[in-house]
Order: sequence, then structure tokens, then C-alpha cells
Amino acid sequence: MPVIEVQRQQLPILDSPNQGARFYNPDLPSSEPFVPGHRTCAGCGPAIQYRMTSKASGDNTILVGPTGCMYVANSSYLCTPYNVPWAHTQIGSAGSFTAGVAAAYEAMIRKGKWKGTFPNIICEAGDGSASDIGLASISGALYRNHDCLIICYDNEQYANTGIQASSRTPYGGMTTFSPPGPKVPEAKTLYPKDLARMMAAGHPHCYVATASVGYPIDLMNKVRKGLNHRGAAYLMVYTPCQKGFVYETPRSIDLGRLVVECGLYPIWEWNPEKRAYDYSFRPQSMRPVSDYLKLQGRFGHLHAEHIANLQKFANEQWRMMGVELPEALSQAADVKNQVNMAAAAEAEVVAQTL
Amino acid sequence: MATTAISTKKKTVRMNGCVASAQAAKYADVDVITAYPIRPYTATMMALAQMVANGELDAEYIVADSEHSQLSIAHGASSSGARVFTGSSGVGVQFAYELYSPISGSRMPVQMMIADRTLDPPGDFGSEHTDALSTRDMGWLMGWACDAQEAFDNHLMAYRIGEDPRVLLPQMVCQDGFFVSHITTDVELPDPGQVKEFLPPYKHPYPLDPRHPVSHGPQIMPEQGPPLQLERARAMEGSMTVIEQVHDEFAQIFGRKYDPWVEEFMTDGAEVVFFMQGGHAVTARFAIQHLRDEGVKVGLVRLRTIRPYPTDRVNKVLSKFKVVGVIETNMGLGSVSSGGSLYAEACAALYESPQHPLVISFMAGMGGEAIVLKEFYWMTKKMMEAQKRGKIEKRTHWVGFEE
Amino acid sequence: MSTKGTHIPDWLTVPFAGITPAPSQEKGQDLFPTGNWRSIRPVYRDKLPPCNNACGTNEKIQGYLDLVKRGKYLDAYALIKEDMPFPSVTGRVCYHPCEQACNRGQYDEAISIRAVERFLGDLGQALARDVVKPGKPNGKKVAVVGSGPAGHSAAYQLARLGYKVTILEKSPKAGGLNRGGIPDWVLPQRVLDREIERLVELGVTIKTNVEVGKDVTWDGLKKNYDACVLAVGLTEPNSVRAEGENKDGVLYGLPFLRDIGMGTSKVKLGARVAVIGGGNTAIDCAREALRQGAVEVTMITVESNPEEMPCVPEDLHDMLEEGVELLHGRAMTAVLGNGRVEALQLYRARFSGAINASPITVNRGAPAERFAVDNVIIAVGQHASLTWLPKEFKNERGTINVDRFGRLGDTNFFAAGDIVQWGSGQPLMVVNAVGDGKRVAFNLDKVLRGEPLEPRKVPVDVIMDLNRMNMTYFPHFPRVRQAMLPPVSRRKTQGEVIQPFTEQQAVEEASRCFSCGTCNACDNCYLVCPEPCIVRSARSNGLYKILVNYCKGCRVCIEECPTGCLEGVPELDFDTGVVRMDTAFAISPGLHGRQAQELLNLGSRPAKEI
Repeated sequence: MPVIEVQRQQLPILDSPNQGARFYNPDLPSSEPFVPGHRTCAGCGPAIQYRMTSKASGDNTILVGPTGCMYVANSSYLCTPYNVPWAHTQIGSAGSFTAGVAAAYEAMIRKGKWKGTFPNIICEAGDGSASDIGLASISGALYRNHDCLIICYDNEQYANTGIQASSRTPYGGMTTFSPPGPKVPEAKTLYPKDLARMMAAGHPHCYVATASVGYPIDLMNKVRKGLNHRGAAYLMVYTPCQKGFVYETPRSIDLGRLVVECGLYPIWEWNPEKRAYDYSFRPQSMRPVSDYLKLQGRFGHLHAEHIANLQKFANEQWRMMGVELPEALSQAADVKNQVNMAAAAEAEVVAQTL
Repeated sequence: MATTAISTKKKTVRMNGCVASAQAAKYADVDVITAYPIRPYTATMMALAQMVANGELDAEYIVADSEHSQLSIAHGASSSGARVFTGSSGVGVQFAYELYSPISGSRMPVQMMIADRTLDPPGDFGSEHTDALSTRDMGWLMGWACDAQEAFDNHLMAYRIGEDPRVLLPQMVCQDGFFVSHITTDVELPDPGQVKEFLPPYKHPYPLDPRHPVSHGPQIMPEQGPPLQLERARAMEGSMTVIEQVHDEFAQIFGRKYDPWVEEFMTDGAEVVFFMQGGHAVTARFAIQHLRDEGVKVGLVRLRTIRPYPTDRVNKVLSKFKVVGVIETNMGLGSVSSGGSLYAEACAALYESPQHPLVISFMAGMGGEAIVLKEFYWMTKKMMEAQKRGKIEKRTHWVGFEE
Repeated sequence: MSTKGTHIPDWLTVPFAGITPAPSQEKGQDLFPTGNWRSIRPVYRDKLPPCNNACGTNEKIQGYLDLVKRGKYLDAYALIKEDMPFPSVTGRVCYHPCEQACNRGQYDEAISIRAVERFLGDLGQALARDVVKPGKPNGKKVAVVGSGPAGHSAAYQLARLGYKVTILEKSPKAGGLNRGGIPDWVLPQRVLDREIERLVELGVTIKTNVEVGKDVTWDGLKKNYDACVLAVGLTEPNSVRAEGENKDGVLYGLPFLRDIGMGTSKVKLGARVAVIGGGNTAIDCAREALRQGAVEVTMITVESNPEEMPCVPEDLHDMLEEGVELLHGRAMTAVLGNGRVEALQLYRARFSGAINASPITVNRGAPAERFAVDNVIIAVGQHASLTWLPKEFKNERGTINVDRFGRLGDTNFFAAGDIVQWGSGQPLMVVNAVGDGKRVAFNLDKVLRGEPLEPRKVPVDVIMDLNRMNMTYFPHFPRVRQAMLPPVSRRKTQGEVIQPFTEQQAVEEASRCFSCGTCNACDNCYLVCPEPCIVRSARSNGLYKILVNYCKGCRVCIEECPTGCLEGVPELDFDTGVVRMDTAFAISPGLHGRQAQELLNLGSRPAKEI
């Protein structure tokens, strides 16, 4: 049987939008793989991420959507906003279904059953799928090194089911499965699973990176790097959820920057060739976590000690990236230098009436 | 249909059921294979791994991280337009349970080989049909082979049926663990030309193809569920015609003629019959021959396809007899008969018949125990007693635990 | 057969296995319009950048900076030429109120707009043919009296409007204050000459050595032209009313500069020169004096410190760099010397702030100071000479009385520039004179076409404020500085002190522009929209459109618009273009049946390019 060599796409890396002093986003292809007419909430972070990702990947793309917001809200009532092939799969099947698609195309192209350049195969898993129920299936796909990109759009909770805690929900985050109360004033007591590092450490041959919707071009370039990487790639993207985080919708992108600036969402890349982390991404500024927390209702119940705990957590993340900590941030980790959230006094009362 | 191809490369080889299944996958030129180890079906995947390693078969061989992943890999690959082969046994079948309905609902003709195994607890390598039977209403075509040759043939026919544009449903091709999967018999392997003639390449009408974008499985409104379910039911029912056509064609090309629904063995003049599926039928045949020699009017009706259930055919066949003894080889705890699940379906199939035979459920072949000749004689005795009495003693007998 | 006899009603027909055909890129997923979720609608509404507003002639500064950013220099030059006839001149001499108003000044440093303007002006100078074309001739003749900034501007705009324009200039060379008031080392003569050539290329006739009141009369103008613009400027220097002002060696600022500019100067300065006055002309005189051979130049001002001086701070800085000394809080009361100036008598003095009287209070109680000099240059302003003007149009300041449109009564005479002075009473800067000339030209045009005149209105709230923009997108970035001649070598040359931008510098500096309140096609809204319902036919300023059928009103685009050209408007303000739906979703009967049909036809559709 003749074996046909599989041709693969190489997507160009985009220039930074900041050219000298000028802010101007680089030109993008005109095709729109993701079109309007879906039921995501106004200002939806995952939808923003979906738009950017699909724009970066282009038309020769297949999307896989495990159960989650981007399944339930985007494809409601037999509607679809996807102008490229898209398939739903079970919430625990993120990596495996994607692997199946990739394997099918490897075989079909090789055996002459499908003619064309190997498509970009992208899985868009929520953090519930990626960090909990589908963790093994994603790990399997990464380990087996299928030529695909698995994205965790991390909105730090199960959102479409009505805001429940996932293992990505931050310490102190209020969800319907982690409400604050007199015995548990901080709401969620556990710290989030460091999912992306887990993926990098466990699958060092893969391209692994974190990104945020606050930095669109960086995100799109990481999508392209992941797709260009021959083999499996993993991307974890911060995507705020207006409904679950409880903030004003216009702040979706802004939160995406603040979470990075306050150190709660480290942005890095794992370089599979050098087998090393690349921490060269730097936000414009570093700021205390309270700047980020105070914009969100889900942290409205926090007391000074909890904010200090989160600051400690953020400081550790900065240290892991080798960033020298400004004195002000070290100070902010001391409970003496923190105050309760303005709404904390009413939070318990409100929580008990729910 | 064309006549039988000139069989230059036809050969007969001794092999067990697992290897026969692997051979069938090879002859079907599958594109994606997804494996996860669990006894006894593992031997199939071991054989396929070796074929891929040898270059005998060009396929993506994926060692999945679980049966759940195995089935979702299969789902993804089939959705993309690839012919897929997977399989499992026992609790492995259960672990993948979530995927059965999505795969059939999205109308992807994934093929799954099952070599039965009892469910835990405790761990037991023995064969019992409960693993596959528990998934029988998920929209998969399903049937049992009783030997390696039939297993081989069933795989080829199942692809042909499931991939038919009138059907587009996944298939479970089952065989008893160990009694079929690990017992070596002669298997006639066809000429590749015959397979080519019989089984055209897989082509789903709406795969995940960037040139013709579609969305698979979007959410629906509650009222949109019923029409989709109705269509799936139509496909399942409609497959019956296709199944019959395919069996005819198979016979023409390969020269082996199977009744697609039931095998009748020595039923001429029989008054009592065993009704069962799978590999224990081979022992049953011996027992019946012995009993017939002694003048006992006993026969065998072996169910070959349980999904779609050949209700009318079962009704027609079983109505001819006075007593039907259903050999379960599966667990239906707290079910209608408090025994297995085959009884209820057989009774339901007979209900409309003006002349009911008496129906008894026998819990035999459980936990992987062989059903020995002695037990068949004992069960025949129970059936004859009921025939004489005109009434059953009780609905279910636990064979080997009663006098 | 359980399914025998079943049929699926049309309204429940669904595509095979629920497999849904992809939506179209153009129409979006039209089954599900989400526009009725919205209570606030994002609207692109370009605001006025503060630089444009501050500019005396309202140059579209943001516009041409944006074009320079993209390397579209010729387009940028064409844009600037809409409002400014000689960017090469203002690019050198302008006091750049735009830069004072620049929002970037509040953030790090203002954009060096003037330097970019000069870059464009010089580019225009190098063109074989100018981009500006005369208007379609309308058969009407207009006289413009005076060829200074205001007259030049008026003539330029009128020619573009199709008038046959004749400039009447008193001097032997056209240029007015551009030529006579600005030293060569700020504005080389050749630059101005080229701009005047451009005016002639536009069809304007320039008659030099023609003085109104002497060679032509009011009535003559009235008779020979359909209309007339008087831009005669303030030609006569003010005196300080000091004793002995008529002594040799006493010079006046403007004539001093003008004679050098016209090449008719016979002045030879001594070693020690004093300049009286603290304005821009005084500074030019002091710096010119150094170049004319003076060794010690002292500027004597009534103002008590440099901050109070009515001058452009940068020029003051450059002057001090060149070595001019300042002597503050003094008034010259007498010129001492025997027929020729030898020294000045100075008294301590201050500005009293009085209007309509002498604004200077001289402290005669303190002892007089003697300040030895060889020359003194008096540069304390100018006044008009309007002997030829009918009395009813003269005002108490000795300038021309015009209405707010620059018109003299109901005549077809208009006046512009310094001669009008209905502003602050300060002499106008070049750019303001240009703006004045432009507005008067447009008003004149309206009058001749019989259209009503309306004052220009700029609502204050549309001038873009820094607080309404998103600074996240603009990292701090230092201003690109123009190279300068070293101070020591400036005394020996008439060469330009300030050096032009290179192309790279011009682009780099233009790139610092925030484009306040104006779409500059940065694509940010396009990129951050979650729907995405922001579309554009082509990537260009202001070509973005919001699909209101889909926009949910999240306002992320507004928040993330770097320039603030997007704003939220309550949906109730609109009565058109709004999707109104009865239910949360708008799936019409039979719609999924159509989908089902579409799916069946999928195979026969042409394959999508991938």
C-alpha cells in the first residue's frame, strides 16, 4: 500500500501589537471560524478566548468541545456558531476524543483516504473537564503526543451548571459548592491545582503554556506555537466568567490583565526542546492581589487574613518565576496590612439567606 | 450481486476467537485501533499490535488510558471518517458506559469486540454475558458468536451493516470469554478480494471535514429529543432488512450461510428447547444429540442477534414448542424472573402468541463456569417435568444448586 | 415495528443525528439573534482630539500623525494642506498650542507635533507638483491685501474654492511677517520662497510693491474685485516712550529683523547689545544680534522672572543656551549718550495689570541704574497704519472693526490676522493668523454664494479627555528629540538651529500619538468582542461596524478601546435597527427543517477553501 507523507501547517507568529510606541494589532486572516449568534453571557471570557483561538488557527481546523459552557451556551437548540467542524464530546473525553480525531487524520491522510494538509485539531476543555473529570484523558493525549492542541479555558469553576467549585477555583472563591458561612468564612479553603505545571512536568515533550485573554496576541501566538509544534500541546487560558466572578461585564479583558499583574496567574511557556520554563513574559506592572479581588463579587466576603493568604500565594508564584518581589508585595502578605473586603460584614448574613 | 471471487489466497488457520477478531479487523483494513488491557479480550489487541508492528496492517494503534478513553477515541476517529476497531471485557465495558449512547446517537458505526467477563466483585476472569448485555438498550447492534469462525464472520458483517447509510449504528460483536476467545479452532480466512467485494470503504455522510464544516451533537431543546430518538429507533428497526440482505450476500461471497437471527438445532419434532446465546451452545449441541439418542424430544434455539431483537422470529420459532428453557449466563438481580434478562425478553416476544410455551429461566454458566452435559440433562429433566405438569415449578432455577 | 406509521411533523424536523450545518461567515448564526439582550449599545463616535481643537487653524493633527505612522506621507501631507498652506513654515516657527494640549503631555511627554509637521512640509517642498489643486473657476475675483500668514492662508483657500485671487503686497518680496518677522536660522528664505511659488502654482497672482492707500484705494478695490480680504498686519513698531529714543544705535525689533530678512539691512552692531521686551520678537532679536556679531546680549524685561515672559518657553531656553543674559524687573526710561547710544537708564518696574492705561508701574523712588550698551533693540510690539481705511471701520485700538465673521459691516470686505485683533489684544501667532485667514476665506465664500454665516461650534464634551481612554495599551515612551546645532556654533551661522526629523524619527514620534477619541483601525474592538459581532469591510479607520442583531451589550469593546472612540449609548435612544423578540430565542417554525435540507445538500455544495 502506498504511504502518503502527511503535510502539516506552519502558522506565522504574529508581531507584537506594540511597535515602538504604537499600539496596532497585527493583521489577521479575514476568515471567521467563530461567528455570532450564541448564547454565552454578555462579556463571556471563554467566548473571547474561543474567538481569538479560532481566529489564530484559521479554516483548516477541527474543534472538539467537551461538555461545558462552550458546549451548552454556544450550541444551544441545534444552533452552532462554529464555521469549522466542531464536535461535542463528553466532559471526561476531552483528550481522548481529540486523540481520536488526530489519529483518524493521521491514518486517513497516510492511507490516501483524505487529501489535504493535516488540520489544526483543537480541544476546548473547560477547567472542570481539564482539571477534574477529563484529566486522565488529556494526560493520555499529551503522553501519546497526538498532533493536536488541548486548551483549558479556565474560568475557575463549573459555570454552566450554576457555579460550582472545581479544582481550579482559587482559595477564597465563593461558589455554590463552596459558600462562605460562620464556620468557613473564607468559602473555598483549598488552593487551586497547578494544572499547567502538572502537564509540563508530566509531558515534557509537549509544548505547554499559560495565557490570558488580557493579552490577545500573546494568546494567539501561543495557540499557533502549540499548533505548529509537531505533537501534542497544552494551553491553559484565564477566561473570566462574569456570572461566576460577579463583575461588570466590560472588565473581562481588564481582569485578564489584572490577574497576571497581581501574580495569581503566572504566564509562562514550557519549551520542550530545551526542557525548560520560559518566564520572560512580564506584565506592565506588579500589583497587590487586592486590586484584582475587589473587582469581583466572589471575593466580597474575604477578611484581611484571607487576602493576606492569597497575597502569600501570589508571592510564592512570583518567586517560582524568579521574579524579585517588591517590598510592598511582601508587606501586603502580612495580615496587619490588609483590611476586610467592604462587603465582608454582610457576606455571612447574605450567604445564610440563600 | 457478483458471484464469489476467485479465492486464491483463502486459507484455513487454527486460531482462538480473540485472534479471529483481530484477523477480521485486519481484513476490514481498519484505520484506528484503540486498546486498553483487560482479560480476556486483550489477546485481540495483542494480536493487532503485532500486526501493526509487523507492517501487516496500516492503522493508528492507540493504547488508551482507560476504556472510557478507548471509546471516546473511537468516537472521535469515527466522527472524522475513519474505520475504527475497539473492544473490552467485563468491568471495562462498564467503565466506558457513558459513551455508548453518544456514539449511537451521533450515528457513528464504531465497532467493539467484546469477550465477556463477569463483573466485579470479586475479581473473576470467568465469562458471563452481563457486561455487554447491560448496555443492550444503548442503540448498538449486538449479537453473540459461538465459535471463532462465526466471530470472524460476524465482525465483517457488522461493519457492513453498521456502516450502511440506512443504518449508521455502532456494533458490539460479542463472544464468550475463554469458551470462544481462548479456544483454538479452525478458521477459514478469506481472500482479501472477497472482503473487498463484500465490504466497501467506510464513508460517513457528514464527517468532521474542514472542507464541509458541520457541528456534531449541539444541544437541543427538550422537544427536539423525541424526533432524534425516533430516528435512532427507526435506524435500529430498519437495520433488520439490511441485516438479512447482508447475511445473504455474505453467504454468496464467502459460502457460509447463517440465519441472521436464530440458529435452530434439532428442533424438528422437538417439544422442549433450550433458548440461549453464545459459546455454551456448542456443549448444548452435544447434550441434545445424546438426549435425542435416548428419545428425548429436545432441541436448541440459539439467538444470534439480540439487538435489534428479532421479536417476530422468536415468537414464531418458540411458539412451536411446549417448554422453552432460557439459559441466561447473565445477571438480572431483582428482574422479572429474579434470574437473568433473557427470560423477560423471550416471554415478551411470546406474549402475543395465541399458544404460549411454558418458559423457565436457568441460571447456568455463571461466573465463567462451564455448563457441563450433566447440567443440560438436569435442565432437560426440569423442562420435561413442567411439560408433563403443564405448569412450571418456579420461574428461575439456579443450576447446580438444586436437586 | 414500533416506528411503523410514525411521522415527524415539519416543525420538529431536525437534521440527521442533530448534525448542524455550519453558519455563514457573513450572516453569522442567524437562527439565534442575541441583540435583544442589550441595554447599552456601543457606538463609534469620533471625538475631537485636543490637538486639533487647540490648533489655530484646526489642522487634523491626529489624522496626519496616524498616516505618518503607516508610512502614508503623501496622504498625510495632503491632509495637513487642507488647513495649512505652508506646513514647512509652521513646522519651524509654530508655537505649537497643539503640543500644550496634547493628552500625552499628561501621561509622559507631548508628541513633537511640530517636528512631524516640518517633516511633512519639507516632503511637500520636495514634490515636483503639489498635491493641492485649484478649485473649479467660479469667475469671481478677490483681492487679498498683504501676503503674511493670514493673507497667504486666505488667498490659498480662496484659490482652492475657485476664486481668481490677486495678492497685493507692499514690500518687494511676498511673505509678510513670515519673511520679515522670522530670522533665517528659524525659517530659511528658500523654504518660504518655495511656499510662495506653490501659491502662484495654484493660480494666485502676486503683485509686489503695491501699497494700499498709496497705489490702490478703498474704492478701487471695491470696484475691481468682487470681494477683498485685508490682511495688512501691524507694520509700525511701538516705542517705549523713553527719552532719547531717537539716538543712533537705537533699533526696533521688527524692522531690524525685516531688513535682515529682506536682505536690505545696513546695520552693524556693536559688542554690547540690549534688547527691550520679553516676547517672541524680542527673543528673535536677541538671538539675531548674536549672529550679527554682538558679543554680549542682554534682554531687559519688565517681567520679574522668565515664567512671566509672553514667549515660547523652548525658544527662551534656546536663547539662554546661546548665551543671552536676562535682566528682569526693569523699565528703560532713557537712552543716554551723545547723539549715539552709550548706555540705558533703567528703573525697577513691574506690571500693574491695569487695562486701558499704562500697564507698567515704574518705581522712580529707587535709584536709576545705568546700563552700558553699544546698541539697543526695542521690541515691544507693533501697531497698525490704516490711514486709507474709511473711518467707520476703525476701532479705538487703531485696528479694523469686524463682526465675528471677519466681515466689515455688510460690505464684501473682510479682514484677517493681526489687523483685526478682536482676540486677546496680543499679536497673533502665525498659526492663528493662518486659521483666521482660512475662516475668513470660507465666510467670504459663503457671503458671495449668498449663504448664511454661522459661527463654528465645538461642544466641549467631544474634545477627548485622557480619562476616557485606555492607557493600558500605551507604554511610556520618551519623546523623540530634534537634533540642534551646538550653541557655540550658532553665533557664526544663519543655518537652522533646529534640525529636521529623519523619516524614522518622524514615524517613531507619530507612533506615540494616542489618536485621542478617534478610530485608528487598531483592531482591538474587533479582537476582544466575545460574539464576535464587530466586523469591518476593510481594515481602515472608522470602517468598523457592530452587528446590532447580535451585540449583547457587554461593552468590553468600549472598555478596551485605546482611543476612546467607542461609547455606550442607552438602547432606548434608538428606535431603528433593534431586534425585538418575543422569547429568549427566536427559532422560527420549520427552521430546523431547512437545516435538515441544507445538511442533505452538503455533499453537493462546493468545498470550503482551507
